[in-house]
This record gives sequence, C-alpha cells and structure tokens, in this order.
Amino acid sequence: MKNTIKQVFHSGKFLFGFIIFMLILLTVIIYPIFVTADPLAMLGQGNFFKPGTYASIEESALSKSYTLQIPKEFSKLEAVLDIETRAEIQQFLINQAGVAESEIDVTDAEGLVSLWKANYDQNTKYAGLTTAKRKALKRLDNEITAAMKDSGVIIAEKDEEGNLKQSKVIKDTDYVNIKDVTTKTFVLGTDNFGRDVLTELVAATKSSLKIGLLAGLIATAIGLLLGLLAGYMGGLADNIIIFITNLFTVIPSFVILILISYSVGDSARGIAMVGIIIGITSWPWTTRSVRSQVISLRNRDHVNLSKLSGHSMFRIIFTDILPYIASYVVMAMILQISSGILAEAQLSMIGLGPATTKTATLGLMMQWAMQYSAHLNGSWWAYFPVVILIALISFSLNLMNTGLDQVFNPQLRD
Amino acid sequence: MKRNLQKVMSILCMSAMTLSMLAGCGGGSGTTTTTETPAATEEASTETATETTEETTEATTEESTEEATEETTEDTSAAADGEATPRNETLYEAGQQWGTINDWNPMSANSNNGLAMAANESARELVYETLFMFNSLDGELYPLLGSEYSWNDDQTELTVKLNPDAKWSDGTQFTAEDVAYTFDTHVKYQSSVGADFSTYIESVEAVDDTTALIKAKADNLNPLKVTSFLNTVYMMQKAYLQKVEERNGEDADAVKQDTMEDMVHTGPYGPYISNDQKAVIIRDDNYWGQADSMWGKLPVPKYIAHTIYKDNAAGQVALSQGEVDVCQQFITDVQNLWLEDGLPISTWLDDAPYGACEVMPSMFFNTEREGLDQKEVRRAIAMAVDYEQIIASAMSGQSPTFDEYPRSVVGPTDGERKYVDFDAISDLQWSNADVDGANALLDEAGIVDTDGDGIREYNGKNLSFKAECPTGWSDWNASMEIVAAAGQNIGIDIQTYFPEASSFYDDMTTCNFDICMWSTPGAGVMNPYSKGMFYFSEEYAKLPSNWSGNFGHYMNDDAEAILKAIPTETDEAKLTEYYTELSRILLEECPAVALMYRPTLFYAVNESVWTNYPAADDGRNIPPTDCTDGYGIAALYDLELVQ
Repeated sequence: MKNTIKQVFHSGKFLFGFIIFMLILLTVIIYPIFVTADPLAMLGQGNFFKPGTYASIEESALSKSYTLQIPKEFSKLEAVLDIETRAEIQQFLINQAGVAESEIDVTDAEGLVSLWKANYDQNTKYAGLTTAKRKALKRLDNEITAAMKDSGVIIAEKDEEGNLKQSKVIKDTDYVNIKDVTTKTFVLGTDNFGRDVLTELVAATKSSLKIGLLAGLIATAIGLLLGLLAGYMGGLADNIIIFITNLFTVIPSFVILILISYSVGDSARGIAMVGIIIGITSWPWTTRSVRSQVISLRNRDHVNLSKLSGHSMFRIIFTDILPYIASYVVMAMILQISSGILAEAQLSMIGLGPATTKTATLGLMMQWAMQYSAHLNGSWWAYFPVVILIALISFSLNLMNTGLDQVFNPQLRD
Repeated sequence: MKRNLQKVMSILCMSAMTLSMLAGCGGGSGTTTTTETPAATEEASTETATETTEETTEATTEESTEEATEETTEDTSAAADGEATPRNETLYEAGQQWGTINDWNPMSANSNNGLAMAANESARELVYETLFMFNSLDGELYPLLGSEYSWNDDQTELTVKLNPDAKWSDGTQFTAEDVAYTFDTHVKYQSSVGADFSTYIESVEAVDDTTALIKAKADNLNPLKVTSFLNTVYMMQKAYLQKVEERNGEDADAVKQDTMEDMVHTGPYGPYISNDQKAVIIRDDNYWGQADSMWGKLPVPKYIAHTIYKDNAAGQVALSQGEVDVCQQFITDVQNLWLEDGLPISTWLDDAPYGACEVMPSMFFNTEREGLDQKEVRRAIAMAVDYEQIIASAMSGQSPTFDEYPRSVVGPTDGERKYVDFDAISDLQWSNADVDGANALLDEAGIVDTDGDGIREYNGKNLSFKAECPTGWSDWNASMEIVAAAGQNIGIDIQTYFPEASSFYDDMTTCNFDICMWSTPGAGVMNPYSKGMFYFSEEYAKLPSNWSGNFGHYMNDDAEAILKAIPTETDEAKLTEYYTELSRILLEECPAVALMYRPTLFYAVNESVWTNYPAADDGRNIPPTDCTDGYGIAALYDLELVQ
C-alpha cells in the first residue's frame, strides 16, 4: 500500500494535478477563515464594479490631509486633450464654428481651449451634428471647464438655515494616507448584484466541489454495484442490468438531467439535491466498464478457487474481484467528480441549478454574468475567473487520473 | 489499449467542453474586435450610397415614384428570398419582434406581431392606425384618422370628426361606417378589445361619412375608458372585414385566427418580408397621410426592418455595430456604450435614468394564499426589500429611486403626481430595506418562529412562498432574487421561480401564484386611473383570464367605490383626494408593491446611418416611443441620413 502511494506520487502528471487540486482545496478551506463576510452580501450598488481598492470619499475629504509637492507629469488640461479630442475640437471649430483651419494649432493646448471656449456654447444647437455628437461635445466642454479650473475643490456644509457654508478647500497638492480612511478591496471586482466576486468565487468553488464529490460518489456507487452484479452473475441478471444501462446510455444523460431538475422545482434544488440528481443520471458508463472488467476477472483461477471453497457470492465479489478493479474505480470516480462539476455549471447556466440567494455555485455565477451581458460590457472579472477555475478543476482531476492510469496500468508506462 | 483510448477520449472531451465554455464566454470580446472591419466598410458604403440617393430623390417626380412602387411590388418575391433592403432606406429596429410574424389580425388573441401591432395607449401606428395618437409627453391626443372629438355635456355621447383625406391602402375612402363596423365586429366576435369596450360603449354609429358617434353605456358611465377607444383601437375596413367574415363562415374562432395577410390598412407601411430571419414592412407611397391635413409628406425610411435576434445580447451587439438603429431592449450599463466605447449611441436622457420612466413593475401578493392574506406579512416583505439595490443593480440605475419619487398609485411623471398629496401619506412610507421595522411588525402581529428553524409560522405552517416571473427577463429575474434575499432577513422563505413565459402567463392570469411580477399600464388618457384599476379593480379579479391587473385578487370595498367614482369626477381637488386615499390603501394593505420605475419602452438609438431622433432636450415634443408608437411616429417624418 505504502509502496503504491509512493509510486503514485512519483508520477509527474499525478503530482502536478494533485498540487493544483490541493491548492484549490486549501484556498477554499483557508480563505473563509480570514474573510468571514457573507459571500452573497450585495455590497456594490450597481453592476460590475471593476477590480481595485475603493476608498471612502467622505472620509478622504474629512481626514487629515498631507501636502505633497509631487511634480505633475502633465497638466490636467493636457490629460483631457488627447490626440483624438484635439481632432474632434478641430473638426468642430472648422465645420460648425467656421474658424479657418489656418488659425487652429492643435499642438497648442492653451490656444485650442481658448478657441473652443470662444466658439462653443452648450445651449446653441449646431447644425450637422448628431445627437450623440452634440451630447459628447457637451461632456467634453464640461471636462475642459473642470480641467481649466485652478486648484481647489470647495467642501461646503449646510447650516441650520440651509445655506451652504464653506468648510474646507481641497487643493491639488492635498493627499490622504490610504491607512487613514476606510477602504474595501475587491480583488476581482463585483458581479451584477454587487457581490464581491472573489469571496463568491471561493464559496462557489466549495459548493461546486461538494456537488461534484456527491455526484461522483453516487454515480460511482451505483455504477460499481450494478457493474459488479451484472459482470459476476451473468445470465438473466446481466441481461436485465445491461438492458437498463443501454437505455440510459442511448438517451443523452443531460436531457434526463434537465427533465429531472425541472420537475424537482426550484425550492428543493439545494446543493445536495443537485448533486444527487447529477449522480443518478451519470452512472451508465461506469457500469459498463466495471462489468467488462469483472467479466474478464470472474474466470481467473483465484476466483474459481474461492467458488470451490464455497464462499458466498458477496464475499467473492468483495474480496476476490473488487480489489483488482479498485484502482480503476478510483480513476473512474475522479472523472465522475470532474464531469459532475461541469454538469452543475451547465445546469445552472440554463437556470436549473440551486437557488441564487441561498448558495453560490460556479454555474450560477456564469449564468448571471451572461444575463447581464458581462461578456459584452468587457467585465471580464465576472466570468473569466469562473471559467478558469472550472477548467483548472477538471484539468487537475483529469491529470491525476492519467497519472494514476500510468501507475496502475503497466502497459502505459514509458 | 482500449481503456487507454477511452481515457484519452474522455480527456479530449473534457478539454473540448472547457474550451467550448471558454469560447462561449470569450465570444463577446472576440466579436468586438472582429466587428470593427465590417462596421467600417459599412460606413464607407453608406456614405457613397447617400450621395447617389440624394441625387435620385431630387430627380424623381411623382410619376416615377409610382413606377418605382410597381417595380418593388413585382420584386417582392425576390426580396422575400432574403435580398437585402438598401441600408440607407431602411430603419432597423430591435427588441419588438421575437419570431416569424404569425398574423396581421388586430382581433387575434395570440398575435406575436410586435413589429406592426401594439394596441395599447400609445398604439403602434405603422400598419394599422387609430383615430388619435397619444403623446405621453404632454398627455394629449393628436389627430390621425380622426381630426377632432367632443363630448356632450352629460358625457354620454362622444362625437368624432374624421379626416376627410383619410384613405385605405386600396385607395377607397375611410368613413365613419368603417369605425362603426370595426367596433361591431370586435363585439360580435368577442375579441379582447370587444369584450373590454362593450361593457362601457353602447354603440358606435356613423352619422355621416366623416362623423362617428360613440354612445357610452348609461348604467356604466366611464368617459375615461370610452375616450381611450380613440387611441387604442385599430381601425379596420368594413368591406375587408366582411370578406374575412365570409371566408371564415362568420365563425368567431376562425375570424380571430385569420392571418389577414392580404389586409387593407390605413397606415404608412405594409407587409413586405416576413420569415424566421427578419421581418420588414415597406412604405406605401400612396399613403393618405402625405395630404397637407395630416403630415404633408411621407415617412422618411422606405423600409422598417426587424432582424429576429436570438436574445437581448444579440440585439445589443447589433446595436453597437450600427446594424440596429432603434433598440427597444434593456441594456446593462447603457452609458458605457458612449462613455467608454465612444459609439454614436444615445438615449432619451443623457444621465440616469436614461429613459422616460412611466410605469412601475410591481410584485403582486396572492391574497388568497394562507399567510399572504395577512397584511402584516405582505407589508413586512415590502418593507424588507432593498429597492435601492434593485434599482442600482437589477435595473442598472435606469430608474429613479423611491426617495426621489415616494410610493403611491401614480407613476413618476408630473402629470400623474399632481393627483396625490404626498404629505398626507408620508407616515406610511417605509425606509429602504427596513429589516428591523419588518421584523418588529411581524413580531407584533404574533407571526413568529416557534419551532426554531429560522422560518416564521402562520397557523402552524412555515411562511414559504414562490416569487415568479418569466425566465430570461433578466432585470425582473434579478429583482425577484433581491426580494428573495429580503425574505431571508425577516424569516420568510421566498424562493424564486422562473418558468417559461407561457406558463407564467397561465399562473398570473388565473391567480395561481404566491408572488408574481407585472408592470402597470403606461401613460395614457386613462392615467392615473388605469394604474388605480391595475392595483385594485375587483372587476379585473373576477375575469376568468385576467391580463389587466389585481392578479392577487385583493378585494377592498373602499377602493372599489373610489374606482367607480373617479371616471365621472372632473373636480381636481376631489380627484386628488381619491388618488391619495387609494395610495393610502396601497401602502397600508400592500396588495402589490412597486419595485422600480421603468420606461414603457426602452429606447437607445445609434446614429451611424440615421439621425434626428427624438431627444429630451430637442423641444420637439415627440415622445421616445421608438419612432413607432403613438405620437412618437412623428419622428419617422423628421429622420435624416447622417452626412
């Protein structure tokens, strides 16, 4: 036994897969110890806040400020006036305001802005502009006005009569130490409900692993039992079992999965239920392969010897046959776990997974990201880490499986 | 070796699956990069095309246009095979039509023809026309087939003058006989319009060719409802209707299911292409509306086309590529389209809420269900919901908040809000996500958790409800999820349930649900009365198949008495009193709760081909109804090609 384990861990493929899987598993276990927040708490009011650290503006405005004479790399105005904007302004000045092209020098920011200010008026309706363009110019004008303002934002407070009273001026050299203010870091941003994607992702991986494990165990248990019985007993029992198995193999199991999930209804679909549903629809191929293995084993000498000794059928199955296919069963289970996780993701993506408000699963995260078209908005953090994680889990499990195969199947050794 | 092969195959399968998932999700970013080239070429081609058409339009005389129409009608078969319509003559819409058009019959109960028909207060005026057009901006009726209308003093008779220039697409005169026959046919075959209006309208008679007289039912006087006949009922031709009746042997079901593909209509567009790829309607160049008494010209786009998209995402991609001009779809973070992507796309307003919000998607509680028949339970759920989260995330900020516009029976427009005295009901408003208040309310009412499972019981049974709305309606689904999350906070188990739309409709219309979601009627001549009816009408509740409102069968005699009194009341102070009282009942009893405000139609336009769409600040008084509905169709006559 010890030797086998040693051998297994000598396989590079297995080790690699094992390390990846363990890392995922450890993260899932350790992360919640440090981050105790509810993964389903809706923090952000809005869709898909981008990754980063969010600092409280109110506290920043009120807390102690430090004056830092950091040389600015470029003025605020230069920052607003990138090449495209300059071209836009030039176009406007020529087409709408009728300024001669020779008068415009796009390299001179100050000059361009003064020409802009002299010729642009927000309330005028310029001919030949689309509404979108008109609105864009209005926004540009606001940006230029803001950039031209001298340093200083005034903070004012309402007094008892409701009049505004200046309480503080914030200059552009004022800085705040990030440690002085409340911050919240979203390493992977937020999702469409405003939930922290990283925390949710960890919780989702946990439930997906649970579902996968449950589904894998159930599928393997059913498959193994039926396979052993069919293979060893043969005859009528074999015919009946293999008939049922063939039936299930012919009907795509995903269709059965959808039908069962739909009929179970939303209320009952927790993690356990989804795991069970996936488990009881994905056993046929384990049955078939276990059966064929058993058939080849049942005429071996040691089995015949046991039969002659009068051992009961169950004893023969469990002591003389099962150990010989144990390694195979373990490998089959790993594959079942991996496909269970994928099946959950597929189910949730069509809205037949567990309830959104009660659990986070990888599939549910994908489903909501798609519904709120994260893939169209460029909100990669809402779906890409999920995809990567699903891929990593399947990849590591499959790698472990191949590694095991090489160890247990001498034909495959290099 | 076989086993080995199996392993290899399964690994291949796995990687293929994961890869396909990757590809499926990465698809979005992929498309944006690949689309740039076609968009650019399209722009170039439209530019050249624009020049040529301008020259030709200048050169054309009336005769040549006639010739052209003849030619195009001959070409119809070729075009139906999928030949494209010229981009610079076609206005592309999205978000209205979701499948092959199944009929053109205004009496049909199951028409999916969203491109041509939407017989609500702001009716779609492209193919069929109503007598008057409603303008949701000023709440007025604008003449279309009818030129003016007047009530007699005791509000029993409505006289409608018709536009003498109005003609059918077959060239015959539109007369009062047609108006009368349209009504009679609706009633005779008990279409939903007929069933609805026959309870309020005694008869529609033709006084002379251009004068129709609508007589209200004296025992059920409702001038508001009768007036809405003018802007919601599509006019059909008497001669054509008789033909349809004859070919269907006057059988009610057969008449209502007639596809009417050969229909005679008054509107500026007629059927052109309809298949599972796209639906196109083509301008009738003999349209009567080019008479000076109406528009004085033809609508600008020759074709109005609607590609049949698979889902919202497909429509959104098409909009951002400039393949769609007017998009009636909910778009997450719509402002990013112009702020970040710099696309020539705009909405009605430049800032949140971006659209003209008029309606309130509301959740109804089934008051016949045990637990939900208790007003404390209903109010507690209503109080615990995080509305600001719904507005910010589910609605992507495209709705004003309930702080800005406190809850009542009326919508967020000034025209409706003047009818409610908000100070009088301010003590009934609740603060956002008031979980403590909701818990206290339930504790006080003795609805507590006695068996320690975290769920409160009523009459010994756990309070457990299903909140349902159709699957795929993403903003509604997310709203229901947030409602479900609120339930967890107050010890009420709420699960979401998103069935297919058709089975949701079955549940909603037959009161077979716990909590369901539906939207109030939009702006119209009957508002805010129709919103009051939507929330409280006992009449609606008694309908065997109820599409109109009060889905939860809430019965309140006070509310019913007020609803009876409102239509004939003209004193504004009295009306304010009525609507304030209705709002008070709504907030106190919570038979239904508004979850957000929302535009009747979403409206985002791309100006890569067409421009001069209605915008809030253009002073033209044209509502943002996607250039198709009610007075919003006026926008079609002002469209210009982008230079």
